[in-house]
Amino acid sequence: MRKTFLICVAVIFSAGIFAPLGSLFLRITPEGFVQVINSPQFSSAVWNTISTGLIATIISLTLALAAAWTLERTAIKHKNFFVIIFGVPMLIPSISHSFGLVALFGANGWLTNIFQWNFNIYGAAGIIAGSIMYAFPVAFFIFMSVLQCEDGSPYLAAEVLGVPKIRQFLDLTLPYLKRTIISTFFAIFSMIATDYGVPLMIGGKTITLSVLMYNKAVAMMDYNSGSVIGAFLIIPAVIAFLADILNPAQKQNDFAKNISVDDKYSSRAGFIFCLSLSALIVAPILTFCVMIFAAKYPADMSFTLYHVMRTIHRGALDNWLNSLIIAFISAGVGTIFSFALAYFSTRTEGFAARIIHLLSIFPMTIPGIALGLGYVIFFHDLPIYGTLIILAAVNVMHFFSSPYLMMRNTLEKISSNVEAVGKVLGIPRRFIIRDIILPKVRFTLYEMFAYFFVNAMMTISAVSYLAPPAPKPIALMITQFEAQRLIESAAVVSIAILLTNLALKIFFTMLNRKTPASQ
Amino acid sequence: MDIQLKLEVKEISKAYGNNEVLRRVNFAVLDGEFFSILGSSGCGKTTLLQILIGLLVADAGKIFKDGADITTLEPARRGMGIVFQNYALFDNMTVFKNVSYALQFHSVDNEAAIKKAAQMLDIVGLKNFSAKMPAELSGGQQQRVAIARALALEPDIILFDEPLSALDASTRLDIRRELKNIQRTLGTTMIYVTHDQEEAFALSDKIMILNRGVVSQIGSPEEIISAPANDYVKTFVLDNLQTKIDSLRRFLT
Repeated sequence: MRKTFLICVAVIFSAGIFAPLGSLFLRITPEGFVQVINSPQFSSAVWNTISTGLIATIISLTLALAAAWTLERTAIKHKNFFVIIFGVPMLIPSISHSFGLVALFGANGWLTNIFQWNFNIYGAAGIIAGSIMYAFPVAFFIFMSVLQCEDGSPYLAAEVLGVPKIRQFLDLTLPYLKRTIISTFFAIFSMIATDYGVPLMIGGKTITLSVLMYNKAVAMMDYNSGSVIGAFLIIPAVIAFLADILNPAQKQNDFAKNISVDDKYSSRAGFIFCLSLSALIVAPILTFCVMIFAAKYPADMSFTLYHVMRTIHRGALDNWLNSLIIAFISAGVGTIFSFALAYFSTRTEGFAARIIHLLSIFPMTIPGIALGLGYVIFFHDLPIYGTLIILAAVNVMHFFSSPYLMMRNTLEKISSNVEAVGKVLGIPRRFIIRDIILPKVRFTLYEMFAYFFVNAMMTISAVSYLAPPAPKPIALMITQFEAQRLIESAAVVSIAILLTNLALKIFFTMLNRKTPASQ
Repeated sequence: MDIQLKLEVKEISKAYGNNEVLRRVNFAVLDGEFFSILGSSGCGKTTLLQILIGLLVADAGKIFKDGADITTLEPARRGMGIVFQNYALFDNMTVFKNVSYALQFHSVDNEAAIKKAAQMLDIVGLKNFSAKMPAELSGGQQQRVAIARALALEPDIILFDEPLSALDASTRLDIRRELKNIQRTLGTTMIYVTHDQEEAFALSDKIMILNRGVVSQIGSPEEIISAPANDYVKTFVLDNLQTKIDSLRRFLT
């Protein structure tokens, strides 16, 4: 049984990760490599990627840390509301953030028209702004969860010793967050550098590496140059991966106390800050909602269903259904697969468990666009190419690591003595898993399912190479409408994705509330 | 062979890499005996317990139960139960279900399982807590559920892995008393792992003192007190006990 399981895992990872990645690297020839790196486009793309990426990373991390700290350490009101709002950008594709910015600050944007002022949103400024909107929620939730676990005892001691709040932040909070800040910095930089949705839409003449790769591999079908750039895009993700594993997590003190929020420490500035951030996050989405139903945004704001109907007539409904099927398959298969691997790596010991763990976190190092190109090269002549199966497969492999780590963290908190008791009492392992483990981890299972689903609904990276012309994942219609300058239809698609993801999130929230804590 | 011999351990050794955790451990436990394995943290007592129950495989040595070699037998076929320090309860199941759950895998019909679980909960004084969830119970009550669960399959040996370490002093005394009662009532052989000298001396018919994976002494509490086998036994066991007696005296005067 164990041997069969390990063979299956080896086959899946070989076919799903290593063979496509190997095919990508095998495409790189010395001549092609030299040609790409000597091109003027390449050096400017490298500079643009690093400069915009670094600025956006620093700003998103600063905002995310400030927001997380404000919500965790002050007594401001409506915390749950802010948490929900800050999470909304995670439910729409990255390209939609740029659309929102264009709708507000672009040449014909709402705010541009009101203020009659050129915001110069196209180019590096737009890439930075869009990337911040895209990356902020990810960093925010990382900081929130880490701050929630912080031991409150040192703060009690500091209060008693009369240490001012600012020194508590500098001398206690920041050192505690050091590891998280370092690994989140690399993770967010890698996320921004490998995303092509934001720069494609709003970058104008500022081309980043990911857009260059998209242009080469998707638009010009130049897979050799695409492979060279794809290999370069793996570098930041590998650095992020190494930063994470070389910077091990601190063990939580067994006697940790929760940090109590002092009611007197209510922060008006914190509330205004969170409210302003929420406004910035909600504004593009609200603009989308207005734009969808406006006859000609922003000149003629009379109500119409024309844009919605036009989007449907162009195949949005079929593509939406197609996306739903892909998302459900990806989420179902991905959840089962990541649970199985997390269970194996936490509940068994030895070399095989360590290898499974390393294999499971390895997909984090591969940007979606590089993986997608690898799939094109490797699977091109196989019968599954162009089918739903390959789209679901690439989603599962691309998004696998995070749900795996979610489940691993949950399983590590469950004593392995449960299985030991099962063995001693003669309870078969499948019953221990079904009756004891699964009920205990069900909330994590829901989270994993939602993670796969939401990402499968909105991804435009790996699937952009693999999707057939019709039906295709609905998120890809945004790039199509971008090319056709049908901004209202792109907004319809963005809102459709947002509502679908929101519906799933609400469903799981209700399920969590309805499911009894015990059976 | 002595007909009263329940468990016999011969030349058990275990190493993790170069770290030798157990070295040629030999001991025997009589039927119905309360046998404690006493030692400081890291001396190999939990490893030994896991080898006895079959959760770990020894590098060398044999284990005999009722004269039969059980060294390679699966844990569930050894006729033993185990109680862990952290209870390891199935916390998504009620107290009753925790105790009755395993019976379905041993061809016990539903009616008999219900009867058996009720009987075990009665023995540990939790008859009125059947419908509660583990999270609703105190630490001591949770440990009683774990004991009832272990008893439900009628094992002839129960192993305890520092079962009272996480409990407060008063609850520890209560459970100690109950364990002795259960041992007397059911005649179950008990093997008890602890680092607490006082606990071992209060409960045991026989104590084995383990030091860095090697048996230092085996004997009744009286034998160990009157004739400690070496300096380790004297320091680790007797001096510690003496300190506790002295502080108790100071408190009383």
